[in-house]
Amino acid sequence: MAELVNVTIDGVTVAVPKGTLVVDAAKKIGNHIPVFCYHPKLKPVGMCRMCLVDIGTPKIDPATKQVVRDENGNPVIQFMPKLTTACTTPVSEGMVVRTATEQVRAAREDILEFLLTSHPLDCPICDKGGECPLQNLTLAHGPGVSRFDYDAKFHNEKHVPLGELIFLDRERCIQCSRCIRFQDEIADDHVLQFHDRGRGMEIITFSDPPFDSYFGGNTTDICPVGALTTADFRFKARPWELQSAQSICTHCAVGCNITLNTRLETRHGGFEIKRVMPRQNEWVNEIWICDKGRYVHHFTRSEDRLHLPLIRREGRLVESTWQQALQLVADTLRAADGEIVLMVGDRIPNEDAYLLGQLGRAIGARVSVSPNVPSHYADVARAFGVGKDADFKRLGRGDLVLAVNADVEEQAPVWFLRLRQAVVDRGAQLIIAHHRSTKLHRYASAIHRFEVGRAPEWVQQQAETLAQALQAARHALIVFGDEHLDGPRARALAQLLANLLLQSGHAGRSDSGLLPLYPHANTQGVCDVLSPHTALPPAARVVWAVGVGDPQELPPAGFYIIQEVLHTALVEQADVVLPSLTFAEREGTFTSGDRRVQRFYRALPAPGEAKPDWWIAQEVARRLGFEWRYNSPAEIFEALAKDVPAYAELSYAALSRVVEQWPPIGREDLYYGGTAYDNTGGIGARYAAEAETRALPPYDVTIPEPTIAGLKRGPRMLYRDGELIRRSALLRARMVSLQQVA
Amino acid sequence: MLREKRAQDIEKVLAKYPPERRRSAVMPLLYIAQEEYGYCTPEAIREVAEIIGCDPTEVKSIVGFYTMFYEQPVGKYVIDVCDDLPCALRGADRFVSHCEKKLGIRVGETTPDGKFTLNTVMCIAACDRAPVLQINKQYRYALDEQTFDRMIDELP
Amino acid sequence: MITEYLRKVPVGLATVFKTLFRRPVTIQYPEEQKPMSARFRGRHHLKRYEDGLERCIGCALCAAACPADAIYVEAAENTNEERYSPGERYAKVYEINMLRCIFCGYCEDACPTNAIVLEPIDFPVGYTRESLIYTKSMLLEPPPPGVPGTPQQTPPGKYDRAILPFPPIDESV
Repeated sequence: MAELVNVTIDGVTVAVPKGTLVVDAAKKIGNHIPVFCYHPKLKPVGMCRMCLVDIGTPKIDPATKQVVRDENGNPVIQFMPKLTTACTTPVSEGMVVRTATEQVRAAREDILEFLLTSHPLDCPICDKGGECPLQNLTLAHGPGVSRFDYDAKFHNEKHVPLGELIFLDRERCIQCSRCIRFQDEIADDHVLQFHDRGRGMEIITFSDPPFDSYFGGNTTDICPVGALTTADFRFKARPWELQSAQSICTHCAVGCNITLNTRLETRHGGFEIKRVMPRQNEWVNEIWICDKGRYVHHFTRSEDRLHLPLIRREGRLVESTWQQALQLVADTLRAADGEIVLMVGDRIPNEDAYLLGQLGRAIGARVSVSPNVPSHYADVARAFGVGKDADFKRLGRGDLVLAVNADVEEQAPVWFLRLRQAVVDRGAQLIIAHHRSTKLHRYASAIHRFEVGRAPEWVQQQAETLAQALQAARHALIVFGDEHLDGPRARALAQLLANLLLQSGHAGRSDSGLLPLYPHANTQGVCDVLSPHTALPPAARVVWAVGVGDPQELPPAGFYIIQEVLHTALVEQADVVLPSLTFAEREGTFTSGDRRVQRFYRALPAPGEAKPDWWIAQEVARRLGFEWRYNSPAEIFEALAKDVPAYAELSYAALSRVVEQWPPIGREDLYYGGTAYDNTGGIGARYAAEAETRALPPYDVTIPEPTIAGLKRGPRMLYRDGELIRRSALLRARMVSLQQVA
Repeated sequence: MLREKRAQDIEKVLAKYPPERRRSAVMPLLYIAQEEYGYCTPEAIREVAEIIGCDPTEVKSIVGFYTMFYEQPVGKYVIDVCDDLPCALRGADRFVSHCEKKLGIRVGETTPDGKFTLNTVMCIAACDRAPVLQINKQYRYALDEQTFDRMIDELP
Repeated sequence: MITEYLRKVPVGLATVFKTLFRRPVTIQYPEEQKPMSARFRGRHHLKRYEDGLERCIGCALCAAACPADAIYVEAAENTNEERYSPGERYAKVYEINMLRCIFCGYCEDACPTNAIVLEPIDFPVGYTRESLIYTKSMLLEPPPPGVPGTPQQTPPGKYDRAILPFPPIDESV
């Protein structure tokens, strides 16, 4: 625990850790010192001068070096001759801060008047209007009337595309440099800078491609005015019209907490997602999300969504009713005599996967996950994953991060931010082993290279040195991916790394463990609740594929039941198509790559007659004679918790636990932390790794020979060719095909 | 390409800094670029960024901040007239108007023949002999309209 | 009793005959309309500037102010090639549900460009609910004579302000 110092702010004395800034200390006791440039996640710069306060310290006698006291024995406080910025001044013992004086009030009013001299006051058309720090603080502290002529206002460009996703309005910009500092300090993509000085100072980008960062959208959240807007949300809705639903991002294994903002719409039967905003969870994504999570939501209202069950009649898929489709599915399954493959994708929630698994076992089906789900090492991650209470925030000096075959920024962007902070800001050591260069390489203290797809062999050869390095570390976090590895070889890699943890004494310790880079939001969860078979039978009578996603080879079968969200190429093979719901239209839980189970809530109405996967599973089960009567995912989760040992201690109540987080985020604090949403839906809970509860033996590992299929398994990149965030000729021209590279 | 044209100069500059602190060489490199092309061309900025291993945006920002780096082509002679307070008290603003009239351009512009560029600058530390200007960084002190005209006419 | 009745009948009939020859107060609405006070809040009109551009900038402040939730606005972005209103934003969809509207005029108050005005002419009447949801094309005034409507092609830089300074208020109206 850091040393505490006492500071008195407007008569209230508070003890805060040494080094705390006055603005933060004041915030902790509910004294809201207005700021524009200061942000609790960024380093202070003191540029906007909005936080000016009157600061005094006890007077020290230069001769005796003692605090001078008055006749009553109280220390004499010596105030600074001028007002001081609260955002750059750390507290000191006995400091007295006055924020309610006339001088401070006048200073705030003057600063606001100054900022507004060049601000266009086009709030009615500004996307920030309604959630704008400048608006709010002007109302609270600003002058009531302007002394400036509206027509004499400073004019500047209002439509500057900084990149394909972010637009800049130079008139609205108040030069707080939050966006520049976010790109420099957090994202480490130095694509924004100031240009010129004085009145001419403006934000520019001169990079090529211009504003190219996976985290660019966050700059619009922390922009204290409407200067930065996203191409996606620009003029789409006013903030007060939006409804919000708390959700979990589905694009990678991080499980970022997000808020889906929806609005009544003339299209799509009523509601539509207007924007995706980060939701605070200091244990997962802090207040950031990556651009894929922010912009890739339009699929929820895609034209390709399935609205009705389809049945193949005379070679064509025709629209049908649930009654007919479910009866056909039930009859087919009954007649299949157990020669059934139930294949589940890793994007569906735990409850649905569990219920499907139960049904599959009950009818004697081979329950498996789709071939591109890396299910082979989920059990290793369950046993040796990061500890129950592991926290990225604690990772720092003395700790070791080992990244093997992992391209963290491409595969789990927000984990890249967390690991980068641990290494760059807090001094953790980073060792990287990969066959190519990644962005994380910039911070590595040691870089190793192996041949493409030779990660397991490399770990085996280096076992001794790696174990020594791990042993020397206080905590050890091992990030690994399965680039160019097939299932069995990826499993060998995971096991070798787990053995390293055992060997170095880190197994089962809280802040140590494995961190697998899974492809989707619920890979771990689906593997946990399904315990899938890893091998598929060569053929079956019926294949029932649920949320398998990408078009791929299914085992040959006489009858295909495809349960999907979109009309994919796979749907064309189907004999029966069952339309299901995306995460936005239902509730449930996902288990992230670090085994944090998190709830998400419903944001949109279902399209057409599409139903959640658990409902479909239950209806089929009932037609096969099972008496299942689950009314909601909550009830299924209760059954799941009883059945799956790892989830025994979890419940919806535990997952929706909300705790106070620092920095405060939300409506009245939006000038402080930005427009990210506060977390009222629950921070989720991580279940304990097996190694934490009991001693586990090391794995006996034999590395299988590499296969062609495995070697062809390229990196699973979030931002890859063909998956455009926004259709653009520029981006398409710049993107090099991965096939060409590989 | 700057690296081909001025390879030796660039090497000389880079040699002054430790390899991990190459970024510090940005200003001397930009001067080389400006010497070579007359101003900091976008291509040169990108090249400097590549040499010192940082983002072009950062180099562009430095060019934008310092008034002695030019982002636009300038004339053969760059005339920087000080119009800060002490000079203004000695009639700098009237002097600047005269300069504009004599050259037939406004402050910040270049004559159509590409010979002169006229700028106003902040204090250049010669207040005792105001009004003062720099022409291609050479000081000319205690000017008046006649001396300015003569200076302009005499320049080749 | 009966005498009292006979006494009252002529009194009542007198009223009948008196009114029989008076002009009726009812009118054949909507064919026939009564003049209204200039300040009467009738149905909404979306105004234009003299150059034909729409005043409405799609800010949806009217929708926010509306106590009956009768207004629906969807905005989009102007370009110089296709400009509907000054500034960057215009109302792509603008609908008022006249059955919900309580004619309070808060939308007028909220409007930063004086685009929406409740005028004492042309009252909303209709036989179906659908016909009483007024769309933008029904609400928008025609452009002044001889002036093109919207979208217009405009020179860059001319209309970079969404909110133009208001003309002085004409007190005589």
